[in-house]
Amino acid sequence: MRKAAIIFFWAFSSLCVIALVTLPINLQTQLIASIVVVTFMGMIKILRAEGAWRLMALASGTAIVLRYVYWRTTSTLPPLNQLENFIPGFLVYLAEMYSVLMLALSLFVVSMPLPSRPTRATSKGNYPSVDVFVPTYNEETDLLANTLAAAKAMDYPSDKLTVWLLDDGGTLQKRSSANLLEGQVAKDRHRDLQAFCADLDVRYLTRERNEHAKAGNLNNGMRYSHGELIAIFDADHAPARDFLLETVGYFEDDPKLFLVQTPHFFLNPDPVERNLRTFERMPSENEMFYGIIQRGLDKWNASFFCGSAAVLRRRALEETDGFSGVSITEDCETAIELHARGWNSVYVDRPLIAGLQPATFASFIGQRSRWAQGMMQILRYRFPLLKRGLTIPQRLCYMSSTLFWLFPFPRMIFLLAPLFYLFFDLEIFTASGGEFLAYTLAYMLVNLMMQNYLYGSFRWPWVSELYEYVQTVHLLPAVVSAIVNPSKPSFKVTAKDESILVSRLSEISRPFFVIFAVLLIALFVAAYRVYTEPYKADVTLVVGGWNLLNLILAGCALGVVSERGERSASRRVKVTRRCEFGFGEHWYPATIDDVSVHGARVNVYGKETASLAIDGRGLIRFKRHGSEMEEILPVTVKNTQILGDIVTIGCRYDPETARDNGLIADLIFANSQQWTEFQLARRGNPGLLRGTVWFLRLALYQTSRGLVYFFGYRGRRAGAAPGTKR
Amino acid sequence: MRGAVISALVLLAMGSGAAQAQVLPFDMTPERPASSEPDSGGDATPPAPVTQGNSSRPSGGFRRYLLPGGDLKLPGENADRAWSIYLTPQQAAAGAKLNLGYQNAILDAPELSSLSVEINNVAITKEAIRSPETISELNLALEKNVLKAGENLIRLRASQRHRTDCSAASTYELWTDLESEKTYLSFDDNAARLLTNLDDIRAIGTDENGLSRFEFIVPALEQPSTTMPLMRLAQGLALRAGMPNQSFTFKQPVAPASDAPPADAPLSGQAGPSGRLTVLVGTAAELVPLLPTLPAAATSTPVAGFAEDPVSGSSVLFLSGPDWPAVRIAIDSIVGETDNVTPASRDIIATQRWRAPDAPFLFSDSRIPFSRLGMRTEEFSGRRFRTDFAIGVPSDFYADAYGEAVLLLDAAYSAAVLPGSHIDIYVNGSVAATVPITAAGGGILRHLPISVTMRHFRPGLNVVAIEAVLETREDKACIPGTTGSLVPRFALFDTSELHMPDFARIGQLPNLSATAGTGFPYGRIRQPIPLFIDRIDTSTLSAAATFLGKLAVAAGHPIAVEAVASPAMIGNRNALFIGALSGMPQMVFSQMSIAEDSRATWGTAPRGQALEIDTPAAFDQWRQKLRGGSWRGQINALEEWMQRNFDISLASLRFASRSEPSFTPSRESSLLVSQSTSLDGSGTWTVVAAPTTKDLEEGMRALSVQQNWNQLAGRISTYQPGVATIRTVPVNAFEFMPTQPVSLANYRLIAANWLSTNILSYAGLLAAVAVILGLATAGLLGNLGRRG
Repeated sequence: MRKAAIIFFWAFSSLCVIALVTLPINLQTQLIASIVVVTFMGMIKILRAEGAWRLMALASGTAIVLRYVYWRTTSTLPPLNQLENFIPGFLVYLAEMYSVLMLALSLFVVSMPLPSRPTRATSKGNYPSVDVFVPTYNEETDLLANTLAAAKAMDYPSDKLTVWLLDDGGTLQKRSSANLLEGQVAKDRHRDLQAFCADLDVRYLTRERNEHAKAGNLNNGMRYSHGELIAIFDADHAPARDFLLETVGYFEDDPKLFLVQTPHFFLNPDPVERNLRTFERMPSENEMFYGIIQRGLDKWNASFFCGSAAVLRRRALEETDGFSGVSITEDCETAIELHARGWNSVYVDRPLIAGLQPATFASFIGQRSRWAQGMMQILRYRFPLLKRGLTIPQRLCYMSSTLFWLFPFPRMIFLLAPLFYLFFDLEIFTASGGEFLAYTLAYMLVNLMMQNYLYGSFRWPWVSELYEYVQTVHLLPAVVSAIVNPSKPSFKVTAKDESILVSRLSEISRPFFVIFAVLLIALFVAAYRVYTEPYKADVTLVVGGWNLLNLILAGCALGVVSERGERSASRRVKVTRRCEFGFGEHWYPATIDDVSVHGARVNVYGKETASLAIDGRGLIRFKRHGSEMEEILPVTVKNTQILGDIVTIGCRYDPETARDNGLIADLIFANSQQWTEFQLARRGNPGLLRGTVWFLRLALYQTSRGLVYFFGYRGRRAGAAPGTKR
Repeated sequence: MRGAVISALVLLAMGSGAAQAQVLPFDMTPERPASSEPDSGGDATPPAPVTQGNSSRPSGGFRRYLLPGGDLKLPGENADRAWSIYLTPQQAAAGAKLNLGYQNAILDAPELSSLSVEINNVAITKEAIRSPETISELNLALEKNVLKAGENLIRLRASQRHRTDCSAASTYELWTDLESEKTYLSFDDNAARLLTNLDDIRAIGTDENGLSRFEFIVPALEQPSTTMPLMRLAQGLALRAGMPNQSFTFKQPVAPASDAPPADAPLSGQAGPSGRLTVLVGTAAELVPLLPTLPAAATSTPVAGFAEDPVSGSSVLFLSGPDWPAVRIAIDSIVGETDNVTPASRDIIATQRWRAPDAPFLFSDSRIPFSRLGMRTEEFSGRRFRTDFAIGVPSDFYADAYGEAVLLLDAAYSAAVLPGSHIDIYVNGSVAATVPITAAGGGILRHLPISVTMRHFRPGLNVVAIEAVLETREDKACIPGTTGSLVPRFALFDTSELHMPDFARIGQLPNLSATAGTGFPYGRIRQPIPLFIDRIDTSTLSAAATFLGKLAVAAGHPIAVEAVASPAMIGNRNALFIGALSGMPQMVFSQMSIAEDSRATWGTAPRGQALEIDTPAAFDQWRQKLRGGSWRGQINALEEWMQRNFDISLASLRFASRSEPSFTPSRESSLLVSQSTSLDGSGTWTVVAAPTTKDLEEGMRALSVQQNWNQLAGRISTYQPGVATIRTVPVNAFEFMPTQPVSLANYRLIAANWLSTNILSYAGLLAAVAVILGLATAGLLGNLGRRG
């Protein structure tokens, strides 16, 4: 009853807003209303008012956006009898309406995200039996060793915990491949991994045929295991020790719970972050999703499975015969199916695994193509809006998640639209300069402010646009093909352990330079036309400004596709942990400064160590997390550096036994707190103004860097081939 | 019963016509010889004026002046005026000559400029415009079947080109002035001047100044009971004649008791009947001394008809009967047929007397092709093309702040037209839209939508002009002869349409422009409206009749009025107050926010010559003068751009209206028209006042001229005789008066207009509603879904 009253009141106030917004008021009134609303939002922002104030600011922003939609729909479309203007004009209109729709959906999802849940690691409870699945296809043993060791090291009664390596690289189909080399590699892998797993006390499982890719592999794992819960980690996602303690308890609270999902935290930057050097300073791209959106989805019981770092209930999965494999994003698809059957999900907003993400731009695009195509398949085969069994909020949430991947269309249209006017003189947007100021500019400003409101500390201004743009160029064909032929896309494993040793242009960078050149020409055309056609200078200025914005994005993207070379093969994580360094007969006091999956840097007190021979043997002695027993890890010294009394030693792990792998995993992965701290360190809202200035400077620098790479690369092309190590 | 009386009347009227016909049988013969002389070879020598001076009369025929509003200016490269005149059957049958007197600008190139005349869509002449120095006259005999009894459409077109200059700006230097005094139809046949049938009231025409005047002679004027029938008669005559500048004058009859023989005093003071009609009203006993030719039937039944004034020989209208009730019935016979128009059924505004065709009345969403607005497809070879049309909007039009009409323009421009040319739309003389032509190489515009702001629309008649300013390379080079090129550059097709959307409709009070435009709100009221007349004398009654006549024409039907002896009887009803300001009741001053001491002070000081400087205008001029090329100029340009696009001033930033400041009529003004709500706000009061009754009559006569009448606006308008201008005091506080059935759609539009006027209210309301929505959302999200 109370709920109905609240809903009625909300509907009534929405109706009032709509009634007010659709009044055909004049331009002056619109301008003043825009100024008032922007000021109002700005004031709330400056005062850092939260809670209901935040919703008031969002509501006023929504009003301005709706006014724009009303105006755009009623008075800016080119007349229907000018088809040459109408068709492109209508496309731009559709693209804008898509953006508004997505804004509306994200408002629904994230206007009041669920606060983080308190930690449950310390609470005692029953320990249901858990199977840990680590599906693998072609990852190397090193990588798997870390993950498996970390999985084994999780705090959980060992009789309740079974770790499974689900190997799809050593299936019978692969081993008996007609291709001799492939078959031989698969046979070796099969044999090595079996031995390795035995060593680590991990169950090795493979199957006859590689059917249904990852989903099939997981289902095969289910067939042979019996645990009540199933935890899933990608081969490169190593869990922290408290992973299960933080997640398993929720299944006891809610018998209808099928999923506890946790964020994916990455130790290495994605190619954009790497090439723009923002990894240490700016929140990662996926933090917006895991920091805000999943929490928002969680409010509506619509947090969905992301393929890894999650715990699922076997009984729920059995209801749908395991993981669904119609689409290539089996994770989201499975979640939809189970949500539709009345199962619930929970999201724990705390990084509990650390993983790797693609390092090269090409594999980054490959990964995104899979997501985009998979979401298109879900739209096609499991259309969430009409999916029976889902609640209305869940439908909207899933629509938001899937429709998001249509962004390449509007992004491309926004890129091309100014060119229609500048090159072909088509008038696709009927508005005067004044109307543009009062409506479009106000809308854009309000839109940016709302984005900043919603995602401020997780996504800096213009970064979404940059990410969308760099993906659009290659994602658009992928999405189109998935729409045209939804059954065609197949699962491809994303390579994540590449590294780039030499600075070079990405192999798929050419379109970015072509687009940049075209936009640059358009800029000159705009300037020329302002000068030669003064009677429509206001329109040309507006369109030229739009094109300039595109040019700035395109320029920044040049930096993204210019891959920086890196000395170190893998990313280092700062840990600062006390240890002792053993060398010869002596143990010296030391701290571990940072670690990577391959080695560590140790600060040793003791000048004698400076005489250490390169490639000599050393030992690191330290305590595992949560244990009092000291253990010793063998290393090889790779370099030394003296700084006063301190000698900094770079060394590579030399694991000999499975126990050593466990130690390495402990060094890197044991402490999930450090990941949270790292994330918090770079989380901060620079604000719209400062963020924009920062982005402009970044774009300017990256444009020049991209151009330098472009001309330098062309010069060097005859010489050294780009070095990519897999 | 009543029907029987009227039918008897009609018979009588016809009978009286027949009687006259017997007295003055039409003689068709004398027209031939008179017309043969000067007209055919009018090329070599300027046609000699047929008549000189103002002698003429009884035998010399009669002039029917043509120009509806006095001297007529035809400006620019193309100008086109059309209107219709009403001719009696006798006039149509009599042979007529057309006389045109004109003078043109010295810059008009004579070999490239021409003036053409069409009557009833028959081309009469096309003359080169070649009279920059003096007024030239054209005298043309019209063929016999050109003129018709009833409506005759006259169309004048000027096509003018500059002698030397090819710029669009230079086209403003082109003009041809038609002299009202020398532009007329002349009839040799004296019968043409006689009016016989009551329908012939429409043939009153104009005088040499473009004015039309009814002169009332009422012996029983002083009796209060005669006033209201006379007011009704004035309205009926005004409606029948429908002339743009018509006024009423009450004259004291020449005392019948005087010794002078009545025959020596002509009833109609002026010699010619064009633009003048004498009206005698009274019982048979009262009228016979004045009009011996009054039919004898007047002593027994109501009669209305024309009689010949034995002295002047022209026709006079009489309304008579055995007693005043019978006179009233006679009056009703003239007024009655104009009675049956209701506001709802009015689909045109009658404008054809000065602008043909009649303007369509637009009440709601409608699309009108240009062909129905009297426009034709036109091709144009000059540099500034201009044409216009008229439409009417109702008095409860309330879309001036937000509304936009759409012109769907079908037009074409040739490849010679350069980008930078533009098409401008003007509403009532103010620019309302500009469409730049941006594509080179010619183009065809097919139903190009042009949003036209309704800011300048006003209740009643509105003129929308379309002007195309065309730039070409030839014009920029401007070699001699360029202006004479006949290659069309621009074409406007009559398939273009005006699309008027549904607009907000609610009456606003006070609103003098609605009163002037459509008689609002009096035109909508069926009960008699109290008319407070301070003193019954000829001047006051003249003013009252003129005002009511204008009001009736605006409303489209006569407005019933009743006399009130004291203001206390008015209560809160709608009312009219006409008289000297000093005689106005006290409540008028308080309701109208007019300073009460002006009752004593207005008009006592000698009237100044209006030498005072209009402060805002002077300020603007100085700003224009001081606009330099410096950086300050740039800021000014930005300011101007803002002003042009948004027109925001501090005054427009308001939440709601303020109260009215007290008003004191200025020394220069001689007449004041003011409007306010009644004491409790339920009725509308309108005051027409002047310092003296003489000022009142003269001022009202000046106000009756269309161009002045159309400027009535705001809550108070005053007339300055020295400079012959109207000044208005804008409305700050007004009340709504619902005119339409309750409908959400209309309220929505009303809200849109109100909020567009009170700008900050909208911003505030939007913010408030957003705050409420924010709170509601907070409540909703706190109760739905999972909670933290």
